Amino acid sequence: MTSHTTLHRTISFTPDAKLAPPENSSMSSTTKTGRRRRSSSIIYQEPPETVEQISDQAVNPNLNSQWVNAKGAWTIHPVIIIGLKIFFDIIPGVTQEISWTLTNITYMTGSYLMFHWVRGVPFEFNAGAYDHLNMWEQIDNGDQYTPAKKFLLTVPIVLFLLSTHYTHYDLTYFIINFLALMAVVIPKLPLAHRMRFAPFSGAPPDD
Amino acid sequence: MATTSNLTTASDVLSTHIFSILNSVSEQFHKLPGSAIFLRYVKSSYQNDPVRSAVELFLVLFAIRYLLARSYSTKPGKVRLTEEEIDDLVDEWQPEPLVGKNTIFEDADLEKRAVIVGPTGPKCRLQTGRTVTNLASYNFYNLVSNEQLKERAIQTLRTYGVGPCGPPGFYGTQDVHMKIEADIAAFLGTTACIIYAQAFSAASSVIPAFSKRGDIIVADKAVNYSIRKGLQISRSQVRWYEHGDMADLERVLARVQKEQAAKKQLTRRFIVTEGLFENTGDMVDLPKIIELKLKYKFRLILDESWSFGVLGRTGRGVTEHQHVDAAEVDMIIGSMAGPLTAAGGFCAGSDEVVEHQRLSAAAYTFSAALPAMSAVTASETLTMLQTQPDMITSLRENTRIMWQQLDPRSDWMTCTSVPENPIMMMVFKADVINSKRLSLEDQTLLIQDIVDECLAQGVLVTRAKALSAAASGAKSDIYTHRPALKICLTNGLSKKEVEKAGTTVRHAITKIVTKKK
Repeated sequence: MTSHTTLHRTISFTPDAKLAPPENSSMSSTTKTGRRRRSSSIIYQEPPETVEQISDQAVNPNLNSQWVNAKGAWTIHPVIIIGLKIFFDIIPGVTQEISWTLTNITYMTGSYLMFHWVRGVPFEFNAGAYDHLNMWEQIDNGDQYTPAKKFLLTVPIVLFLLSTHYTHYDLTYFIINFLALMAVVIPKLPLAHRMRFAPFSGAPPDD
Repeated sequence: MATTSNLTTASDVLSTHIFSILNSVSEQFHKLPGSAIFLRYVKSSYQNDPVRSAVELFLVLFAIRYLLARSYSTKPGKVRLTEEEIDDLVDEWQPEPLVGKNTIFEDADLEKRAVIVGPTGPKCRLQTGRTVTNLASYNFYNLVSNEQLKERAIQTLRTYGVGPCGPPGFYGTQDVHMKIEADIAAFLGTTACIIYAQAFSAASSVIPAFSKRGDIIVADKAVNYSIRKGLQISRSQVRWYEHGDMADLERVLARVQKEQAAKKQLTRRFIVTEGLFENTGDMVDLPKIIELKLKYKFRLILDESWSFGVLGRTGRGVTEHQHVDAAEVDMIIGSMAGPLTAAGGFCAGSDEVVEHQRLSAAAYTFSAALPAMSAVTASETLTMLQTQPDMITSLRENTRIMWQQLDPRSDWMTCTSVPENPIMMMVFKADVINSKRLSLEDQTLLIQDIVDECLAQGVLVTRAKALSAAASGAKSDIYTHRPALKICLTNGLSKKEVEKAGTTVRHAITKIVTKKK
């Protein structure tokens, strides 16, 4: 008489090979629970959720991450970028190059903070089931290469190419913009899914 | 000579082929509108910087590749089935029955179970026609036969109807609810109180209202099923301490404090225990727990389901019995369905504690309110407890008499309850278990036989039945219940009747235990 949900695997079909996410094979030895690793705690994988967390996540749709697929959530990005550009243009004494670079940096910082730095959900409806995941990992339930994620990755790249053009390919601006772009693109890669870097996000929690 | 010429012609053919393909591609490209502009832009953007152009080209190719990639899921265990496989599985499927088949033990149990006809009371009539002494119902003050209570209840029923038709927060609160809340708060000595419609869901609703995922709860291993459910629902981290062992509790509290200090974390921390334990019958050491709670900065949730209305000079519970101020306990959970023989449960505490539960407690917000009849019965019972203190003393006297008959005088069983507890849990003595090498199942069967024998002699007692500890979501067995014989004393029997019943039980125990060699 178990009172928690059990995932029945009475079927013995081999799962589709394409569905397997790219394995992170760096210094981590995954055990049954996926937590105990003495080898490296600098880069570690966020362990899979417990049954209670999965059932708590399934109770309500995740309002924190659902809106990226909603109306207007895609158009707002060019709108914000244009707004930032206008704002930086208005400030006296700011050249076109600096203005483009500042737009680039502001947009990258803002989207990094929103999608990759903050963890959890700002609402109180699922008893903290998403506390360890940042927003990028919550979007579309962790699926990779979904339309929302494709759009959100393309926008910074296009913005970067635009800004290199308008700064006349100057080396310093290029490096600044490129670093900002890397900070935003690398966490969005599928191999960075659920990867935690200890200097930024703290030591791996013991169970 | 001939082979080299062959080779050169082969490579020539290949290279001409490739050139022709490239030419045709570039011709097509030049036909596209805007291609000239595009080519001019790419040429001008090169700016003699191959590394940068290579980086930009790589980015563009990466973006195109990302855009064209197929979506997949990262959730483990997702299996895609073809239509055929789905059809096969559907054909093979056999539905499981809703209720499993009974075991032999359960079947035998069902057959021998006593069925009471008519109202329950200190002496009840069975379906077989016999009248037996009822020591199995929770009827401590014999309020089930109280005519005055019945009159009040019928009066309330005629005035208020049967149910409140709604949750307390949505037009379900009636003046009788507010009255009983005020009565209990005044009786206990706390600031405020909140009523739940069902005593079982009180504990399992109060705990998750305050303790969430990430908080720490330190609980006694022998807590009852309702509290276990509350711990599971709250999703907090639960640490267990040995039942009644204050040294172990201190060890666990110190460990939690040390871990949190090391991680510089400060979460909510709770100690959960019961006043009188439902499973073992013994009492908590409340002053010691208060001292530990203040020292290690924890909050205390005390479940007084079986001690409210029973312990203390006037029945105020374990706080009165052990001379502790009720305001020291953060949340006192109680039951009006047990000793008060009304219905429902309550939680008493400070104003903030109670007000928080009016919105966050699941059983208060999402469940219908208590029927007015039960609320009025509870109020009346409380008044009775305060105005007729001899109820409590005569119950204690009956319990003492039963103890006299059973505990030191029986060679085989001992009572794990405290002497003030009208529910006596009799377990086999340790040396008996060892000498006869009784497993838990053997003990259960023996106790069932004792129950049957007592019934044959005219005394109705029962076996303590509990859901296994593993059924409440713990990863391993935290606590194994000892099979026990449960005798519930009542005021409704005279001293002689209690003595006679005690003798019967003792003889039954001796007979069954000595028979099974």
